[in-house]
Amino acid sequence: LLEKRLCKDTLGRLVVFMYTCRTETAVYKYHQFTGMRRKSVFIVFVLILSLESIGQARQEAKFGKVKPIDFQPTVYSVDSGAHAVIVADIGSTQVIGNSKGWFSLESKHYRRAHILHKNGYDIADITLYLYTDEDDEEELPRLKAVTYNLQDGEVIETPLDQKSGIFKEKLSKKLVALKFTFPNVKEGSIIEFEYTKTSDFLLSMDPWEFQGEYPRLWSEYTFYVPAFFNYVFLYQGYREFDIKDVKRRRQMFNVRDTRGTVASSHSDFSDNVNEYKWVMKNVPPLKQESYTSTLKNHISRIEFHLTEQKEPLASHKYLESWEKLAKDLLKAEYFGEALERGNGWLSDLISPAISTATTEEDQARRVYQYVRDHYTCTNHNSRGMNQNLRTIARSRNGNVAEINLLLAAMLKHLNIHADPVLLSTRSNGYTYSSYPLPERFNYVICRTIIGGKAYYLDASQPQLGFGKLGYECYNGHARVIDDAASPVEFIADSVVEQKTTSIVIVSNENGKLSGSMRQVPGYFESLTLRRRVKDDGKQEILNSIKRIYNNSNIDISEPTIDSLDNYELPVEIRYLFTMAKPNEDIYYFNPMFNEGSKENPFKSSQRFYPVEMPYALDEIFLLRLDVPPGYIVDELPKQIMVKLNPEGDGLFEYRISESNGIISLRSRLRISRTFFQADEYDMLREFFNLVVKKHSEQIVFKKKK
Amino acid sequence: MTKAKIVVLFSLLLSTCLAAGQANYSVSLISPALLEKASAVKRNEQFKVEIVSGSKIKWKRKYAITILNESGDRHAEFYEYYDNLRDVRSIEGRLFDANGNKIKTLKRSDIRDNSAVSDINLFDDNRIKLHNFYYRNYPYTVEYEVEVDLEATYFLPRYMPQPFSGISVEESYCQLICPKDFSFQFKAFNYTGPPTFEEKDGKKIYTWGVKNLTPWQEEYASPAKEMLTTSVFFSPNHFEFAGYEGSMSSWKELGLFQHRLNLGRDQLPESVRKRVRELMAQTDDPRQQVTLLYEYLQKNTRYVSIQLGIGGWQPFHAAFVAEKAYGDCKALSNYMCAILKEAGIKSFYSLIKAGQGEYFFMPDFPSDQFNHIIVCVPLENDTMWLECTDQFIGAGYMGDFTDNRYALLVDETGGKLVRTPRYSKLENLQIRKTIAALRENATLEVKVNSQYGAMQQDNIMRMINSLSRNKVREYLDKQLDFATYNVNDFNYREKKGRLPVIDEELHLTINNYATITNKRLFIAPNMMTRSYAIAAPDDARKYDIEMKTEYREVDTVEIQLPVGYELEVFPKDVIISSPFGTYSSSVKLEDNKLYYYRVREQFAGQFPTSRYTDLVEFYDTIYKADRNRVVLIKKGL
Repeated sequence: LLEKRLCKDTLGRLVVFMYTCRTETAVYKYHQFTGMRRKSVFIVFVLILSLESIGQARQEAKFGKVKPIDFQPTVYSVDSGAHAVIVADIGSTQVIGNSKGWFSLESKHYRRAHILHKNGYDIADITLYLYTDEDDEEELPRLKAVTYNLQDGEVIETPLDQKSGIFKEKLSKKLVALKFTFPNVKEGSIIEFEYTKTSDFLLSMDPWEFQGEYPRLWSEYTFYVPAFFNYVFLYQGYREFDIKDVKRRRQMFNVRDTRGTVASSHSDFSDNVNEYKWVMKNVPPLKQESYTSTLKNHISRIEFHLTEQKEPLASHKYLESWEKLAKDLLKAEYFGEALERGNGWLSDLISPAISTATTEEDQARRVYQYVRDHYTCTNHNSRGMNQNLRTIARSRNGNVAEINLLLAAMLKHLNIHADPVLLSTRSNGYTYSSYPLPERFNYVICRTIIGGKAYYLDASQPQLGFGKLGYECYNGHARVIDDAASPVEFIADSVVEQKTTSIVIVSNENGKLSGSMRQVPGYFESLTLRRRVKDDGKQEILNSIKRIYNNSNIDISEPTIDSLDNYELPVEIRYLFTMAKPNEDIYYFNPMFNEGSKENPFKSSQRFYPVEMPYALDEIFLLRLDVPPGYIVDELPKQIMVKLNPEGDGLFEYRISESNGIISLRSRLRISRTFFQADEYDMLREFFNLVVKKHSEQIVFKKKK
Repeated sequence: MTKAKIVVLFSLLLSTCLAAGQANYSVSLISPALLEKASAVKRNEQFKVEIVSGSKIKWKRKYAITILNESGDRHAEFYEYYDNLRDVRSIEGRLFDANGNKIKTLKRSDIRDNSAVSDINLFDDNRIKLHNFYYRNYPYTVEYEVEVDLEATYFLPRYMPQPFSGISVEESYCQLICPKDFSFQFKAFNYTGPPTFEEKDGKKIYTWGVKNLTPWQEEYASPAKEMLTTSVFFSPNHFEFAGYEGSMSSWKELGLFQHRLNLGRDQLPESVRKRVRELMAQTDDPRQQVTLLYEYLQKNTRYVSIQLGIGGWQPFHAAFVAEKAYGDCKALSNYMCAILKEAGIKSFYSLIKAGQGEYFFMPDFPSDQFNHIIVCVPLENDTMWLECTDQFIGAGYMGDFTDNRYALLVDETGGKLVRTPRYSKLENLQIRKTIAALRENATLEVKVNSQYGAMQQDNIMRMINSLSRNKVREYLDKQLDFATYNVNDFNYREKKGRLPVIDEELHLTINNYATITNKRLFIAPNMMTRSYAIAAPDDARKYDIEMKTEYREVDTVEIQLPVGYELEVFPKDVIISSPFGTYSSSVKLEDNKLYYYRVREQFAGQFPTSRYTDLVEFYDTIYKADRNRVVLIKKGL
């Protein structure tokens, strides 16, 4: 039969993630949009998800068979506060022969939802995405949608107007969104849709999600796998299946090719099909908590990947090994092919960029800086190129893969070792080291080896230093795309955001206190500061430092920020200050200044899934303070040292002492682990509670009698 | 035309010719005064609006802008919206280096064409064309030339050479070119004198020009940007719009046009009419009747926005809304008017510019300055305003979305401009009583009763109506201003209506709110109502101060203390009275209990720039007073 179409399929397609949890932050202030015209004013409210106890199972529902009794529940025990409930969510996919001489996926999706409250109305707004790429396409041959209301004991049906009620929005040359909303929706309405979607993209099959923004009473998925295809099923989540089943049957496959000018060819055959079925009942939503990389890591879902084709088709492996994937990628036009060419035209760009640099390292630095400073990344979510290197170089913008592949091409042009690296950012979710699945990745960086030392480079992020990566990249397993497809681990624990602050305060002749402050924030905090300087100007940032103590009796002078342009190092902030001469009988003084922790980062009283912190922490605060003349120390905070757990994954130290009229304080907060299980949550919360408490304590001075 | 004017015009035309030929964009030619506090300098701009016919406008713009540094990059991007009534005919672009040498020309294939459907619309016809040279060697200059066709004379483009802060302008002019019989109004801000005028080839040409404008800047509580920089607004005396005709010569005329768009769209199906009659029979009180009908609307419709062509201005038929149970602000307001008409109650379909802080309006300049529709119901002693897109708001209340501004009431007699209500400090009232007990381990057990009136309740109203009880708890778990605490119980009671009130009761346990050491106890008695100061400006304030909202907060706090302490330091009473508001707070200790009393009033008003430092000090004093601590010491030490 046909050529396999591995590459374009897997890399070109934009994966639209349909999980619509919109809870990045807990927001209660509503947003108001006041657009151009009265075309566009409405009040939008961001909903917050919650987790509820598990309720009872419901029976399977069927399209159109809505009975008065179905309207009865006003609360469902799976989530007593839910504003809408998905009563049934039933999907299936089968492989069918198509008219392009190959196979397509035919998926059916039926959903019934019960709207309990006005705030659940958004479940009635539906968007479906259809992708097209040259010959391959997705189509929606059938769509039905009906709203049911109970009126005087009778079920009233209002169907969607297929002609005027469905809107097509062209999102790009390849992607169209179909949008519709259910008519006649009220509190208490039941809505149902059912559609069939066909897709020629065998290698990017939509995953099935058993969990989402609204609770599901019955979520079921069936996948019919023909004997000539092998698939791998990947499940994630913290719940067991209520039903898991497999049956065998026979199916006819009709494959024809009607595209050619000659008479169409066709072949009919039958083969065994395994019918896999999974059901989950009463699945509550997961709520977004602080320190979550992405809910995608935690929701219950299953995904499918075609691994090989067998008889009666020509035998072919789709999912073979990392080495094979790397080899294919290196040959692919949208990825590595351009790296292998000579790219002589690059000389015109490189020569001025490297100027007089002669050593490999200097040259690599200059090239990296050139790409970073002159090319704009317009999309940080991509694992392949949509345009060729020449176009990227001309238009000076591209997605993250394009920019870092351009960097790799330039290094190679200089005969400096360079390889692309595929990774998945934290917000894109984990990858599996055991399955070479390109669609799991969303980011490309570049590795270079100079003098035996490996440097990982990302030229898509302005102001990032040579050899530095943003914390979004520290998400575990990644792959170097070279002959060996070497695995590489970017471990969040290994990134320590280290911050040191030291303050010295001396009293001068007239009793005034004057001090100096020096702070080296962590690398990521420095990066944020650099970006603020870029957006608002250095003067504005210096002014904002002056404003830190606006509401106290401290006056700041001569603020400076060093190392702003040395992107490989953290910045250094310094300033001098004076404090009014105390004259009260009793003088209270918080020795942490503005640097103490004031908020517990773990606000929620409970946690249902792991805590994922982006990096480890080590914050040191040092103070040296003259006892103000005419005063004696009446009370100092107590010293403590606490470990987060017996293993010492976290440490809090607060040492304070007075000797010869000088007070010294050292506070250190260290967290060296970034991943904590849900059952370790209380321990974390209590630990930070203690830190905040200690950092609020005062020194008490008394006037000498 | 006087001689002087001719000279001005001539020099303007001359410079125009230069710009049209080969302009010199060398950065060294920019006057140093224009570089101060600027991230970009507009070098020249031609903004030409030509009215070709009643239904066609050709709009040509050409401008060059020099980007001085990274914060100016945002101004280097070109974008132009289009839709069914607006067509982008051509786009040209050029890039110049610091010396003014042309280094690149826009390629058509580099123009991106994106959907621009608004987030709040289910669907509309908005799309956008974008281009960017992505050049990063500063300074550099981009020059763009765009031609747009507008298929209506309803909207005449507004001229604003400095649409953003941080941009200065070397030279810019605007021309309105129209047939002899076309008449229009204009209104200019920060522009002295009339436009120049000439007649050429049977056309009238009006020209406004500016030179050497320094940047305007963003300031706290400043007037609207339209007042801070040069802007010219146009409005046609006669216009055409998708087959309709109308006039903006007066508010009455603009209202008549809207009325024509709405005409015949108020037919209700019999089922709805029957329901209206039933509801009307329930009470004789007109206020009560309107409330019942409004609640019927809220219960039976929802907001879904679909905007196509004239559909951005013309409501769906009432019968459509009745059938689909949805619509946008126009459709729902028109539906509400139809219901009220059926009930025999007079109402007005009312145009308004909605949005928090959107108070800028030109009442003396009839034109479409609106973005939203509400319904006005004049009753005997009172007028009720109905926000038809909101599922929860009480009948007659407006909140900060539509309060205190102009609205255009529309009916068959035309348009009439009126003002919507302004909420006073006695209505925007917050009364809070906090009773707490402090344990030996520094834990505070607290009960807080708060009453929120009018605009003080807007956010809480939104929260309690939109979130389930579990989610309200999650919110409260995260949003209170304490380091570590638990919400043990909470309760809300809502009184809807023209002046809504919400009662809130919270039971909290706060860990380590007070600090207890070996000898001492530190506690700030103001737990719940702490203010946040605004920042002092770094330079002299430029613009007047406009405070739009007023309110009043009253707090009483009672804290039971652990036994065995006596007073060490006590904050002094604070009393402030200023043009911006008043503040008083006091603490006393009696029977081992702390009593705290606080009243804050914020006034609305317009104040001169020179008062800004006073305003900062006013906030600052309150900020500090709100955080005052009481220190107690163990007895016998």
